[in-house]
Amino acid sequence: MTTTIAIHTEGLTKHYGDVKALIDLDLDVRTGEVFGFLGPNGAGKTTMIRTILDEIRPTAGRASILGMDSHEQSVEIRNHIGYLPGDLSMYPNLTGRDTLTYFANLRGGVDWGYVDHLAERLDADLSKKVGDLSSGNRQKVGLIQAFMNRPDLLVMDEPSSGLDPLIQREFQAMMREVAGEGRTVFLSSHTLSEVQRVADRVGIIRHGYLIALEAVAALRSKAIRRVDLFFDKDVDETVFVGLPGVRDVESQNHHVVLSFDGQMETLLKVATERYSLIDITTQEADLEEIFLTYYRDSDVTA
Amino acid sequence: MLANVFTKTTQDWWKGMTIAVATLGAFFLFGMAVYRDIDLSIYDQMPEALRTMFGIPAGADVASLAYGAIYSSYGALTIAAVVLVLGAASIAGEEREGTLGLLLGNPRSRTYVLASKAAALVLITVFGALVLWVVGRITPTLLGTDITGIQVEALILHIAVNALFYGFLAMAIGAWTGSRGLASGVTAGVMALSFVAVGLLPLVESLESLVKAFPWYYYNGSNPTLNGVDRGHLAVLFAGIAIFAAAAVIGVNRRDLKGQTVGVTMIDRLRANPMTQNVADRLAGSARVSSIWTKTISEHQALVFITASLMFLVMGVMIGPMYNALDEALISLTDSLPESLLALFGGGDFGTPEGWYQLETFSLMAPIATIAVAAIIGGRAVAGEEANRTMGLLLANPTRRSTVVYQKTIAMVLAAATVGFALFAGVVAGSLLGGLGMNVGNIAAACLLATLIGLAFGALALALSAGTGRVAVAIYGAVAVALVFYLLNAFIPLSARIAGWARVSPFYYYLGSDPLANGMHWGHGAVLTVLAVVLIGLSVVLFQRRDLRQSG
Repeated sequence: MTTTIAIHTEGLTKHYGDVKALIDLDLDVRTGEVFGFLGPNGAGKTTMIRTILDEIRPTAGRASILGMDSHEQSVEIRNHIGYLPGDLSMYPNLTGRDTLTYFANLRGGVDWGYVDHLAERLDADLSKKVGDLSSGNRQKVGLIQAFMNRPDLLVMDEPSSGLDPLIQREFQAMMREVAGEGRTVFLSSHTLSEVQRVADRVGIIRHGYLIALEAVAALRSKAIRRVDLFFDKDVDETVFVGLPGVRDVESQNHHVVLSFDGQMETLLKVATERYSLIDITTQEADLEEIFLTYYRDSDVTA
Repeated sequence: MLANVFTKTTQDWWKGMTIAVATLGAFFLFGMAVYRDIDLSIYDQMPEALRTMFGIPAGADVASLAYGAIYSSYGALTIAAVVLVLGAASIAGEEREGTLGLLLGNPRSRTYVLASKAAALVLITVFGALVLWVVGRITPTLLGTDITGIQVEALILHIAVNALFYGFLAMAIGAWTGSRGLASGVTAGVMALSFVAVGLLPLVESLESLVKAFPWYYYNGSNPTLNGVDRGHLAVLFAGIAIFAAAAVIGVNRRDLKGQTVGVTMIDRLRANPMTQNVADRLAGSARVSSIWTKTISEHQALVFITASLMFLVMGVMIGPMYNALDEALISLTDSLPESLLALFGGGDFGTPEGWYQLETFSLMAPIATIAVAAIIGGRAVAGEEANRTMGLLLANPTRRSTVVYQKTIAMVLAAATVGFALFAGVVAGSLLGGLGMNVGNIAAACLLATLIGLAFGALALALSAGTGRVAVAIYGAVAVALVFYLLNAFIPLSARIAGWARVSPFYYYLGSDPLANGMHWGHGAVLTVLAVVLIGLSVVLFQRRDLRQSG
């Protein structure tokens, strides 16, 4: 591939009747990176993927993949991509191997040694009928199908659903290897932790708008945490309001909850100075909290 | 309102029945109006025995024939088919959609779900019967037709109970097996076979008593249009319904619910056996998935195989020898009938082997078979992959949308041709067995035209499938259009004033040239071919332009 841009969209917009599923999306995904596409359910992730794959047509704007127009050259594009749809469905009466043979025939052949290697890594059983597999095992067949022709671009919509943690880790390693070979992964997900582990950059989409585009390292530095402080008696929560990095303070009886992304030392000092702190728990904030906290200003009401 | 399973089911189902009875009602009106145009002298020429056979009571207008021609045959078949499809869907359908498990996650028993479905089935049937009754009562008043002696209520009661019989049979099979395809397929087979048997067997003296073994006999064996309600016959149907209902309750409660799990087939066993593995793998595996069209054919192999076998054996081979056993009296009777009246019953007459085959095989059953096969494959072609949510995966390969349409078309053409060829082989064999000496070339012509009429409506289903992405719209839409054109072609010629308009119906180009007697009419064949080709081209255009649906 001569181009350095794997996916390029310009003002990409998709309306379903009155529903605006995707609005004016400008995005560049570079070759050789794992790009995480993050957003809550219904944000427009799947619409974006289906649009660039020519399953559905944009209301406005355009997209190109590997330098080719997503609509005009869609057949040529598909020689170079592997795709795993969200909510995967396959032919229940075919075995995994039949399914892969079918798609391999449509592609004009496949390296079966590589298929077996993938099946081994993902611990997939290709001899059973797809309809008899659990959803996680079915997902494995879908993953092999996406990886098997060593595509230049892998487009995957919520690929980890149903996979157990061990297989998820293996799958994440496979994605890193693809990027390591200079190929590209476009990974749609609603799980921040997964994207953090594997992606180089993330785009965050909400209500059809791309509201942030960041390197994962930068996102991690913003890592907001939810902090629960437990005291031996009721406390005046206002002492925490206004501290650097503290937001959304709430209290109930002896318990104070707040969102925090500053220096822990400052917080602890205030908490222990005047009260007796019994316990403290912190946890990674979920995606929604990050959105609410960091992207409130950019939240264009849709 | 979705207060419970009963109301939700009723809401899901009423549309199909409404469309069916609205179409029937419109045709009843149309048919009765056309009959008023028929030369009344026909009526006087008809012997009393035939009048009874055709359901015209003494003293009534010829127009009252509409009850017999439209309500008691097409009407009963259509209503029964709708109820059958709904019955098959009631348990097995929800299982296939994966919603049955969800439904039973609520504190309701399987029996409750089944009973709700059964109640909805009864309500929908009663609703359909009521519409038919209202139309059947209002139309004669509007047209000023005298219907003295026609037992409208009795006929409609028989139609409704008959429909429920097949609906509950399909429900019972669905409840036992969890397979909607099996339930509707077996029931439709029983219905078609019994419909044909009840039409055929009484024509042959030695076989006449066998007719009581077929359920359709208990619907119209007593000729309710003229003779009123036959309590004994209805009791037989009700007994059947009760048995099926009980069987459904037992069936659904005793077995494991199906998920997406598919059964183990013969070929699976062969593939598992080391001795047969190689051959079976080639058959079931590599050949089946070698291309889109082979895979499509393999998905529909049961449909094609069963339909082709039925056409070969029943409508082909068996009809021939029966000709020799025909009642001589009946042949001479029909010889005396005027042409226009014969046209009403399929255009053939009992006097020649060709007419006999035309009447029994080619006028109705052959086009039903080819249209059903082609419309099911065409209708599922694009929309089926979308409903199963596999289209996205399929089109992630470097395959054009047009290629998908063309490959599915190949499968449809091969399937329709298989049915057409089976019919050809069957009729040739039947003619040989019966010593009828029919012209083989003419049989081939009729079978080719039957294949083409199937493909014309299959292509319509394909276009609807490609244009809308909805399986139900595609299949039922194409079948409904076919039904309308079939009836137009059957009834328009009855009125000399508008007879020329029959040419708007594709069916005119099927048997209009009387191919069994006159051989191939290439012009007519060309019309059907062009129609199919245009619709296939349209399918490609429509499919390329639209967004894929994410689900059914």
